[in-house]
Amino acid sequence: MKIIVCMKQVPAAATASIDPLTKTIVRTGRNAVTNPFDLYALQTSLDIKKGVGGTVTAITMGIPAAQKVLRDAISRGADDGEILSDRAFAGADTLATSYAISLGINKLGGADLIVCGKMAVDGDTAQIGPELAQHLGIPHVSDVSEILEMAEDHLVVRRVWDDVEQELYLPLPALITVAKGQNLPQLPTIPGMLRGRAADIPTFTAEDLQADITRCGLKGSPTQVVRTFTPPVRGEAQSIDGNEAEQAQQLVQIFREVLHGTD
Amino acid sequence: MEQIKKGALWVFCEVQGKELLPVGLQLLGRAKTLAEESNRPLYAVVLGKISQDSVKLLHASGAHEVICSVGSALDEKLEQPYADSLISLAQQFEPDILLVGATPFGRAFAPRVAAALQTGLTADCTELSIDAETGLLLQTRPAFGGNMMATIRTATSRPQMATVRPGVLPLPEPMEVADREAVTIQFDGQAGLVKLLKETAISRGADISQSKIIVAAGRGIGQKKNLKLVQALADKLGGQVGASRPLVDMGFCPYSSQIGQTGYSVAPDLLICCGISGAVQHLAGIGGAKTVIAINTDPKAPIFAVADYKIVGDCVPVLENLLKAMDEN
Amino acid sequence: MDQTLIRKLVSADEEYLRDESKKVGHAESISFPETHEQVCQIMAELFESGTSVTVQGSRTGLASAAVPFGGHVLNMSRMDKVLGMRAENDNFYITVQPGVILQKLNKAIAARAFDTSAWDEASQEVYKTFVQAPVQMFTPDPTESTATIGGMVACNASGARSYHYGPTRNHIQAVRGVLANGQTISLSRGQIFAKGLELTLPTEQGNSITVKLPTYKMPECKNASGYYCCADMDAIDLLIGSDGTLAVLTEIELSLMPVPALSWGVTCFFPQEIHAAKYTKLAKQIKEGIVAIEYFDPCALDILRKQKAESTAFAGLPFLPDSYGCAVYTELHCETEDQAYELLEALSGYCAEAGGNPDNTWVACSDSDRDMLHFFRHAVPESVNMQVERTKHTYPEVTKVGGDLAVPDEYFEELLGIYDTTLKEEGLQHAAWGHIGDNHIHVNILPRDMDEYSRGKALLAKWAAEVSRMGGAVSAEHGVGKLKAPFLEVMYGTEHINEMAALKATFDSKWMLGRGNLFSPQEEVK
Repeated sequence: MKIIVCMKQVPAAATASIDPLTKTIVRTGRNAVTNPFDLYALQTSLDIKKGVGGTVTAITMGIPAAQKVLRDAISRGADDGEILSDRAFAGADTLATSYAISLGINKLGGADLIVCGKMAVDGDTAQIGPELAQHLGIPHVSDVSEILEMAEDHLVVRRVWDDVEQELYLPLPALITVAKGQNLPQLPTIPGMLRGRAADIPTFTAEDLQADITRCGLKGSPTQVVRTFTPPVRGEAQSIDGNEAEQAQQLVQIFREVLHGTD
Repeated sequence: MEQIKKGALWVFCEVQGKELLPVGLQLLGRAKTLAEESNRPLYAVVLGKISQDSVKLLHASGAHEVICSVGSALDEKLEQPYADSLISLAQQFEPDILLVGATPFGRAFAPRVAAALQTGLTADCTELSIDAETGLLLQTRPAFGGNMMATIRTATSRPQMATVRPGVLPLPEPMEVADREAVTIQFDGQAGLVKLLKETAISRGADISQSKIIVAAGRGIGQKKNLKLVQALADKLGGQVGASRPLVDMGFCPYSSQIGQTGYSVAPDLLICCGISGAVQHLAGIGGAKTVIAINTDPKAPIFAVADYKIVGDCVPVLENLLKAMDEN
Repeated sequence: MDQTLIRKLVSADEEYLRDESKKVGHAESISFPETHEQVCQIMAELFESGTSVTVQGSRTGLASAAVPFGGHVLNMSRMDKVLGMRAENDNFYITVQPGVILQKLNKAIAARAFDTSAWDEASQEVYKTFVQAPVQMFTPDPTESTATIGGMVACNASGARSYHYGPTRNHIQAVRGVLANGQTISLSRGQIFAKGLELTLPTEQGNSITVKLPTYKMPECKNASGYYCCADMDAIDLLIGSDGTLAVLTEIELSLMPVPALSWGVTCFFPQEIHAAKYTKLAKQIKEGIVAIEYFDPCALDILRKQKAESTAFAGLPFLPDSYGCAVYTELHCETEDQAYELLEALSGYCAEAGGNPDNTWVACSDSDRDMLHFFRHAVPESVNMQVERTKHTYPEVTKVGGDLAVPDEYFEELLGIYDTTLKEEGLQHAAWGHIGDNHIHVNILPRDMDEYSRGKALLAKWAAEVSRMGGAVSAEHGVGKLKAPFLEVMYGTEHINEMAALKATFDSKWMLGRGNLFSPQEEVK
């Protein structure tokens, strides 16, 4: 089976910053890490490869330094990695990103299975996977937590949504997004690290992909950030005073407010 | 069908089982104001058949029309057929704004719609408004794990799409409305290739990490028999009992209820801490709680620093009175 | 004088009678001071009645040092402010109150985020350069990261990285403390030294204390047993590691150093302990870049396997194939990737040479992977504690019997042999882990009933005697507290203990501070 796993480099939590002019996330490549959900996606891919055979290729889009996530993937067992990198891709929202990645996947001759992390921790959108599936015209299942059955032509997967658990049959080619579940990422080995370091990582530019430039990067992104601000911080606790009966009444009122209207 | 105008504000209303999810109604409540401000009609969109009572509730919640797409492909609520059906409706009627509840399903299928329509989609918004100058939808969402908020707009492509987090907007009071039919539109698309083999409801069982409401007890509860009060409150609220480590160590509570660094991390909507001082090991496990009410005798207890509401006092009489008050209400 | 800060200890305060050693003591009163002045006030008040005082931090200690033997509990957890900052020759120093929790301090240092509103102008100026400077760290890293800085100083705590950076002592620049009589002392490193074995300390009130230092020779290995003493020593070192028996520390200045560019963790798995010991010996030949060498014995790994299967809270532990017998973890701190990869290749070679397979290794380079390894490391003692807690429900007296013994290099293999033989003879359930690079592993006996508990304690006493014979330390990092006071006597002999007692009496004439710590308790803790 030919598997492509999509990965993203994200800022390490403590060091994220936002460019005051473009309002987009600053990626310097320092203190950047592989999106944690993508490690689960990678592990799921490796598990499937182990089960039915095949290859796992990691793909990412980003600045040249983002190839670090591909080396990381190879050190954990991926066969190879390709990076999509071009100034034209910069500032992309989910629509423009998923468009570029769809071209990258087509450039690699497509895949039987495409695996994405459930979401990236810097954007929290969870949209790349489904948008990518739509661009490629293939079915997808979001939030997969376990692969129950694997074969050359189909998967049976499990997902858990709030209060419901589903088992789904998914014919290939298809795309899945992977939640944190049974697929606990394994750590690289020493030989793996050395392989990752030595690997040859090809770069694809917008031109290589014959991309429509108007659909790429900031230009191809319909959403624009107009403003960012820090949310109000949690203030000091509000004291509930009075005698015990009065306190009880106030508590009942708070319960109503807090629990009202949540799903 | 001629009553469906182009350039409208659409709210996708998700059905679970046979019931409308509250988030769709919450969105209609907010969208009603947005529609009035921007002088657009407001339509509720439902995929698959729903009862006439539900249609009426959507009208009563502010929808000028209810668009109901029906077809055998929509029997199972899955990403691809639902997306295909909404894509075809949107292509036909060209809404200006399309809002979707950010439920797991909403977040799984709405991106396909956005990709097909080549438009922007803002994920998991917590606030919506209309820009007075441009008339554009302003979509505000948390970024960087909630450390920052971003306001986003979709200037050039249509519809302007956003998924909106459940529970952040209030439910609207239903209005008096005449009983009218939904506008039913046949969807002839394919059921898609994914098959739902099995669906089971999950009982939350003993694991408190998923619990939405937790009543937690600490050493300040005093004697073991007082835990009955904690259990009673949890039962009344439909929640679960949590415990700090000393109670587990003393054998008062099972390990499965232990909250903190060496127990479970919890993220409930409501956490009531009874007699918990808030040792750093405990606080490490409650960072995700939305509303925290703390009851403790010590006014300097660290738990109060992370609480939204506090009662300085013995938790036992507070609990007793609270249970009584809840019985009376 | 203000209203008294001392209040009666009531049943709701029961948690302040115990610590992580799971022993329970008793006390009559308690206080929670917030400032140096309040500590002075409390001590002055207690001195009149000669009430004994047990100083507490976050009560994470394993030697019962914070368990009170009657009298007063002085809980320092509300002295949790960072007071200021200083820079000298590009080095940064921060002054904290003793109740500051290590974990919180580390977070604040990493994020360079401090509440500076109450700092003096000089500190605020230094803070401006601090936020521009390379990110700093405070290196001592005891596994229990919720320990307080005061507690760490009291027992001269160590962690994995002490292999390279040394124990807490090496990173303490200055302290301020309150003596039993309410007088205060302030000591900065490099200012006051002993003359031979005689030491004179001035108090801030203009008096002075002159003591004769004990004449024992400290072990040539990692050590936290008894007073630090040697000829011409720096006075500050006497207070560090004094187990709360000489003074109540109220301000502590810590030295920081820049975070290395790369911090990687490498875990190698081996079929048997003998391979792990051989690998450790080889890895110790590397002089630059290795900051920690830690061991997990087969029983420890088995406990983790069981815990992962049984408890969802531990389901996130990495999978351990059955062929992974035991493990050695090394931590690399490097400035360049080239250096880090060179070390990886060297360790890979040693792994194979020692009888391991380089494919059976884990390398953690990112925060999330490192967090996984920290979780793994912390899960071992946590799981052991949980297992003992279960036994405790049936036999409330039973606790874990944990060794904290270290020996000089030449005796380590002999000690491992003694552990192995005696544990087999006694048939006791156990698990061992810890700082193999420092010849210091924690062998823990997990008694299943009272008989095993007594036999475990007897065995530990036997090991303590063996280690004393080898010139080792009966407590290498936990401190002596109350639990290990009898071993200290074995290690140094009565004559030297009497020298220590005389020293203490000069500081604390009424024998108030930390009663039962270091010196064999007059009563047995439950």
